[in-house]
Amino acid sequence: MKKVIISVLGNDRPGIIAAVSRLLYENDSNIENVSQTSLQSEFAGIFIATVPAAMALPTLEGKMTDILSPMGLQVHVKPMEPRHEAVNGLLGESFVITTRGPDQKGLVARVTEIIANHEVNITNCQAVFKGGDDPNSNIMIYEVDIPPRADQQALFLDLREKGAELNLQVSIQHRDIFMTLNRI
Amino acid sequence: MLTSREIVATLEMLQSEHLDLRTVTLGINLMDCVSDDLEKLCRNIRHKIKTLARNLVPACNQISDKYGIPVVNKRISVSPIAIVAAPFNSRQMTTVAQTLNDVAAEVNVDFIGGFSALVEKGLANGDRSLIEAIPDALAQTERVCASVNVASTRAGINMDAVLMMGEVVKAAAEKTAEKDGLAAAKLCVFANIPQDVPFMAGAYLGIGEPDAVINVGVSGPGVVRKAIDRALEQHPGWDLGQISELIKRTAYKVTRVGELIGREVADSIGIEFGAVDLSLAPTPNVGDSVGEIFQSLGLRSIGVPGSTAALAMLNDAIKKGGAFASSHVGGLSGAFIPVSEDLNIAEAARNGYLTIEKLEAMTSVCSVGLDMVAIPGDTTTETIAAMIADEMAIGVINAKTTATRLIPVPGKKAGENAFFGGLLGHSVIMPVNNAQGDNPFVLHGGRIPAPIHSMKN
Repeated sequence: MKKVIISVLGNDRPGIIAAVSRLLYENDSNIENVSQTSLQSEFAGIFIATVPAAMALPTLEGKMTDILSPMGLQVHVKPMEPRHEAVNGLLGESFVITTRGPDQKGLVARVTEIIANHEVNITNCQAVFKGGDDPNSNIMIYEVDIPPRADQQALFLDLREKGAELNLQVSIQHRDIFMTLNRI
Repeated sequence: MLTSREIVATLEMLQSEHLDLRTVTLGINLMDCVSDDLEKLCRNIRHKIKTLARNLVPACNQISDKYGIPVVNKRISVSPIAIVAAPFNSRQMTTVAQTLNDVAAEVNVDFIGGFSALVEKGLANGDRSLIEAIPDALAQTERVCASVNVASTRAGINMDAVLMMGEVVKAAAEKTAEKDGLAAAKLCVFANIPQDVPFMAGAYLGIGEPDAVINVGVSGPGVVRKAIDRALEQHPGWDLGQISELIKRTAYKVTRVGELIGREVADSIGIEFGAVDLSLAPTPNVGDSVGEIFQSLGLRSIGVPGSTAALAMLNDAIKKGGAFASSHVGGLSGAFIPVSEDLNIAEAARNGYLTIEKLEAMTSVCSVGLDMVAIPGDTTTETIAAMIADEMAIGVINAKTTATRLIPVPGKKAGENAFFGGLLGHSVIMPVNNAQGDNPFVLHGGRIPAPIHSMKN
């Protein structure tokens, strides 16, 4: 058996997971992990599956495309690689960075550039833009892992400076405070 | 993965609802500093406090920064000085207070509590010296806080001590007449004082406590108020059971913050974590008020009929939510209603909605007592003692903590204003019934016996 990653992207509709899982089952494959999300009307799903060693991946991708393409979905299958060094070595303390203020062009690019320059990995990213002037209705949320070797204070300083430049309120808080306040 | 709702709700609590940790209080046992040589005692005290508290403020600041939660006050409580300095006279006790004040300044804490005596059943020599020293000690220092426990459910009320405290409160205020009697704002008279209160002015470290311990006091009246406002906006028909449940859940969140930060501070300076005090503690800022919660519950003002019932519900819900959030709950744990420290409560006193009698009734269902109440400067010591006695009776009979922090403002009358500054706030001076009349009742002295339900063994 070997591990593969299957990504599925396209219009959200009933039956996508059912179609993918049925096809994998019929091809003697086992789903190990799934993550899916829908953003506005778009579906995106990633499946990690074990498939028979002899199965050629282009063949699997072809079979899946035959079923999913008529549903308006694109499929990509690739072999699973060992965890990348650049991410593996970056595990550290989890912080939540939020920027509050009206949406503007380049907002995400300029903030994430700083995060990347400090070799900090973003583990989750969400946007809450409801428009209007209320800063709490216009928030970008970045969950990050700050590795021990990163200079936390320098990162925070850079982010706050950028926030001031872009007229954004920037908060940087350890993830535990959100967990503590909201979950038992 | 956190949800955006969880993140936004947390940010709102911090940014606009004044969620903070009111105090991290380091308790330090001073029993091993004891000496019959005053200079040596003071040296020992200074050395021990400096050694243990050196990193307290930097650790609090660092952890506050990490979580984005302000730690408003960093404080120290010590073993009762009446015991630690038992061989000394009142003048020498004042020297000990000065030492505490100096070392508090050196380690950068704003208050140090424990200039205290426990006299519910009688006065030992050290207790008498300490009580006599209180007016000078508080007038000559900035950071020292004093407390005297004059009653307990097990022992009854020591009326001799109550009368002494009437005199001490008045003398302390008079020695700081130019500051509206500020020294009296640093003095609490207690029934059933807890050994681990982190809040001033009543903080001291009980003799059953460890060598050093971190206790924390949470805050959060603004968070509770906003939660009620939001809920009633969405569900105007909610009944009090549903509102109580909401307060409970909110208190849970507030307390979790205290537990998280307290444990981390304790870990980082290598000192045991003690307890979280669940109290809702206001500051003299709009949006950080316990009084405002009463208005959110539908009362015109704190003090109008219905206030005692509302406070009873609030206090109980805080305890229930907080107890579930913390592994160890201690201190006062309930809602505070300090008049001058809460803008809204001070305003209720000014408008006449809140009287001392109503305040006293309310203290039978919450965690403190007549707290930060400014009274006319010419109130007699007998009447002050009688006010203390009434408050002690509520604590003793209900097996709960009660206290008084009365400030007879020198040279000022009812209706005038008193300014104490900072978190101590400002308030109108409240009229006192029979302020200048005699009171032979308290002059009888002796001890009011412990109530029948104290016999639990």
